[in-house]
Amino acid sequence: MKTVVRQPDDKPTGTVLNRTFWLLIFCGIAAFLALGYNLFKLQVIRHGEFESKAIDQQTREAVVKAARGTIYDRSGKVLAVSATAETVYLDPFLLAKNGENASEISDALSALLGLDRESIYEKYANTKQRGLPVKRKIEGEEAKGVREYIVANKLTSVYLAEDTKRYYPQSSLASGVIGFVGTDNYGLEGVEARYDDYLTGTDGRVVRLKNVSGTDMLFGDYENYFDAENGGDITLTLDSTIQYYVEKHLTQAIEDFDIQSGAAAIAINPKTAEILAMATFGNYDLNAPFDVSEDILATLDGLPDEERAAGLAAARTAQWRNKAISDTYEPGSVFKTITLAIALEEGLINENSTFYCGGSYSGVPGRPVDNPYHCWKSGGHGTQTLSEAVQNSCNVAFVNIGMQIGAERFYKYIEAFGFKEKTGFDLPGEASSLWWSDTEFMNPKDKTELASASFGQTFNITPLQLVTAISAAVNGGQMYTPHIVKTIKDPAGNIIKSVDPEPVRQVISEKTSATVRKILEDVVAVGTGRNAQVAGYRVGGKTGTSTNTVIQAETEQKKYIVSFCGVAPMDDPQILVLVLLDNPSNKSGVYISGGNMGAPTVGNILSDVLPYLGIAPQYTEDEAKQLNVTVPKLISSTAEDAKKTLEKAGLSVRTVGDGDTVTGQMPSVNAVVSPGTKVVIYLGADMPDNSAVTVPSVTGRGYYEAKNALESAGLFIRSTGVPATATGAAVSVQSIPSGTEVEYGSVVEVTLVDKSIQGQY
Amino acid sequence: MAYAEAKNTRLRENTLDDDAIPEKRGRVDLPFTILVLILLSIGVVMVLSASYASAYYESGEPTKYFTRQLIFAVVGVAAMFLFSYIKMKTYRNFSMPLLALAVGLLIMVLFIGVERNHAKRWFDLGFTTFQPSEIAKIAVIMAFSVMVCKYGDGLRNFKWSHKSEFIKAFFPFAGVLGVIGALLLMEPHKSATIIIIAIGAVVLFAGGFDVKLVFLALGIAAAAAIILISKAESSYAELAATGGGDYAFRRIVFWLHPEADPSNGGYQVLQSLYAVGSGGLTGLGLGQSRQKYLYLPEEHNDYIFAIVCEELGFIGAALILVLFAMLIIRGFWIALHARTKFDALVAAGVTGMLAIQVFLNISVVTNFIPCTGISLPFFSYGGTALLMQLAEMGVILSVSRDMPTTRNG
Repeated sequence: MKTVVRQPDDKPTGTVLNRTFWLLIFCGIAAFLALGYNLFKLQVIRHGEFESKAIDQQTREAVVKAARGTIYDRSGKVLAVSATAETVYLDPFLLAKNGENASEISDALSALLGLDRESIYEKYANTKQRGLPVKRKIEGEEAKGVREYIVANKLTSVYLAEDTKRYYPQSSLASGVIGFVGTDNYGLEGVEARYDDYLTGTDGRVVRLKNVSGTDMLFGDYENYFDAENGGDITLTLDSTIQYYVEKHLTQAIEDFDIQSGAAAIAINPKTAEILAMATFGNYDLNAPFDVSEDILATLDGLPDEERAAGLAAARTAQWRNKAISDTYEPGSVFKTITLAIALEEGLINENSTFYCGGSYSGVPGRPVDNPYHCWKSGGHGTQTLSEAVQNSCNVAFVNIGMQIGAERFYKYIEAFGFKEKTGFDLPGEASSLWWSDTEFMNPKDKTELASASFGQTFNITPLQLVTAISAAVNGGQMYTPHIVKTIKDPAGNIIKSVDPEPVRQVISEKTSATVRKILEDVVAVGTGRNAQVAGYRVGGKTGTSTNTVIQAETEQKKYIVSFCGVAPMDDPQILVLVLLDNPSNKSGVYISGGNMGAPTVGNILSDVLPYLGIAPQYTEDEAKQLNVTVPKLISSTAEDAKKTLEKAGLSVRTVGDGDTVTGQMPSVNAVVSPGTKVVIYLGADMPDNSAVTVPSVTGRGYYEAKNALESAGLFIRSTGVPATATGAAVSVQSIPSGTEVEYGSVVEVTLVDKSIQGQY
Repeated sequence: MAYAEAKNTRLRENTLDDDAIPEKRGRVDLPFTILVLILLSIGVVMVLSASYASAYYESGEPTKYFTRQLIFAVVGVAAMFLFSYIKMKTYRNFSMPLLALAVGLLIMVLFIGVERNHAKRWFDLGFTTFQPSEIAKIAVIMAFSVMVCKYGDGLRNFKWSHKSEFIKAFFPFAGVLGVIGALLLMEPHKSATIIIIAIGAVVLFAGGFDVKLVFLALGIAAAAAIILISKAESSYAELAATGGGDYAFRRIVFWLHPEADPSNGGYQVLQSLYAVGSGGLTGLGLGQSRQKYLYLPEEHNDYIFAIVCEELGFIGAALILVLFAMLIIRGFWIALHARTKFDALVAAGVTGMLAIQVFLNISVVTNFIPCTGISLPFFSYGGTALLMQLAEMGVILSVSRDMPTTRNG
């Protein structure tokens, strides 16, 4: 080997090696340790934080709407149900990002959805926004049209999202009870609001990967499902058939008696306090709860925008208001039932007690001597038994009873009957009652409050409180909590909540309750409640005609609330119905009183409901004779046979024409007419006359007078209400108003009331 | 160990001279070659994965970038071996002309280069583009190596009393860096300027530049960084709100607080962190990145390592770091065993450049340093850059061929 000394600059010096070695340490080891540590920090220690942020931006969440629970009546009929619908959203952010044409889209959507073009176009203005709803809850063809438009134009700035829509198959039936949901599917009124938590369920989600422009990732493998938990189903105690009858007759009463300030009715099972029906007017269509009646709209027309909006809002609030629980009133004479129960329970009076009414009662501490309590009958009722005092609804007798009870005892029972607190009913909006404080009520120097409370005036309670208390008075003395919901089931059908009626307390004894029942039955049988009689059933009840004493003091105008509380059957009460009509006008021509307006309405309701409840009628001989008859089929039978059939049915016959075979009949098959009606049968070639006839006015007339008037006009009669043979029976309302053109041979139904019952009792 | 062995080798080497080099050179360093090929293979596969989505959305042709990268990789490997055959003496002889060429190209690009994003950094060669700054980097390494051999002794020990001699010795180096740096800033190309200065510093450091001055320079840089950071800390909220401030300063601000402006100034940084962080320990699996679906910009270029982290997780990313570290250690090992000072300086310079690029790129991706455009060798998409990198590896391999151990072994 040759040894040559190299040029000085060519020699890798110790310094170069030393420095290179340090570079190796720094660049090859230290730097990578730092990088590795940093990477570990980001990827392992802070992994969760970055992962969740990354997934936030990488995923698109589609909400899977939980189906809202269904609301059923007690027999399983659907009252409220949800179905899927879709909501159209705009995404202005993606519009700007993907360069889509806002103007064209606005034109197309405006045509597809029937919306104002500008309102859509304006939504696109702020391109930082996302997910603006354009039209909610569209279905069928409308949704299909939008979907096709989106697909055809590959749009990202318009999309459809699943939504649910609430349907109320019975539209306005029980609207005050069921309530409705808002656009966001939250319950706003009634059961929908009160039980929203149970009905709503929990929305589910589908999470999918998306790229920056919002469409699905090419090979996204990340998909997560969170199942929707559907809402629970609710079964109400409400019976939609009973509700239908109650609403039907209440609507009729409002029309017949020209009711000015609304009406309410409650049907309750007195043994359980289950609400069977609850009606309040105005009614509204639950499928369009924000629509107000055209009459109201007409009054708002032409007003400035602000006033119109305020008027509209007030009208909506009014139509949604459940008068049966949200409004308080002075119950008037119906409350005498409670005074009666208290005095009986305390042993202060019994069925043999007698009361003298000379027309007024003086000597109440605190009441001026020259202004005594007047009975509604100015001449006085004279000497009466207890039952007669109730039948007569005698104020003097009841002030007397109230004085015997005394303020302390009376107040104690007021509390026991639940008048001082809310009933605990399971619908929102229950009002509080208005009572005097105990010290005021028990002031020994002023017993005027006790005196007027004895006949149901000057305090305010809700209709619901009254039916709850009277239920206890007739059911054997047990107070129950009124309720509308029977069971709540989860989507799998397991019962989550079940309301089993349990008595809260015993207020009066069974014996007292039996006496109350007996006396109430007398009221309807022979007293002021006669117009509530239902042939074949033992009905009891109490009338009420109260004045709003506050309004009266302020305006010196008498505004009446007429009411009637009926119970049936009296040997085993199954249903209790309170009807309350607020402010009847004197234009109807019917004498304003609970007995003339409330009682017949309750009677009509009971005559439909009692058979529906499966309670068989037991007619007295007299009643059996009065029953309306269904006209049998006579055509094509022989004249001889037809006559026999009619006579057997309790109808008489008139023949027209000659021949053996019946070719026509008047009234037609299945028409319901009064017994003894003369049915016309046509024989041979003669046929019924088809010309129109004008209905005469028969209101106010006696039954036979009315029958003749109708028959001479070529019409037939059938009656409801008190028996045609009862003293003072007169037509209160007729089913077809006078002056109406109807077909020859039509049947007019008249409601008979006992005209002799006059007075504000 | 390696150090002591290298020293012994040096001592033995003192007995050799140029004439002693046989005509037949040794083999290329096998570990270095294998490491380059492994990293290149992983890199090319990662280009396929990272660019798949963007290529699909841009052109409907998901393998567009991958195909080009693969072609350049194959050509690049050929170039690597070709360059390993060129003798070190030839490199040394062509060092200064190469520097002149680089300066010439840098001037030319200002006039005839293509402009992208307000910068003129590229020549359009028709089938591809090419950055003259890539030539400048290797030119600086080679030229400085030559210059250190010639004037390096004057830089070893700075004394205030002899400052004029030191300045005289330093002047050529400062001149080269000054001219090239100025030309790069005119493009402008800040990141290349930083790299050129850094690799110049590496060669000077390896060449024995006075360590006092090295520490002084590092101290000044650290002080400047601290001042900038504190200034950025005090005004980031305002900057994020108003969107004002100098471009470079904003980068520092959003390096420190990317969350202050997530949709704009901090977007790139945050998207990169989401990708890196969501990879976790084991990653989402090769090809399973989600951030590549247009969330992360530059996902197959400067930010490809973020996709690597997301898909392969900490385990995969750390493995790649280890491979890079091994390659760099082997590069310096070759420098330590180089036959001549020039060889050693070139090998250390090229390895240093590789280390700087890897370190800066991964630091940017993991938000360790403020964001700047530096590609990851063997990974980032870019044909001519890859070709250059592989050719540079060829230069190191050429050094390895002349290593006494290799040659004798």
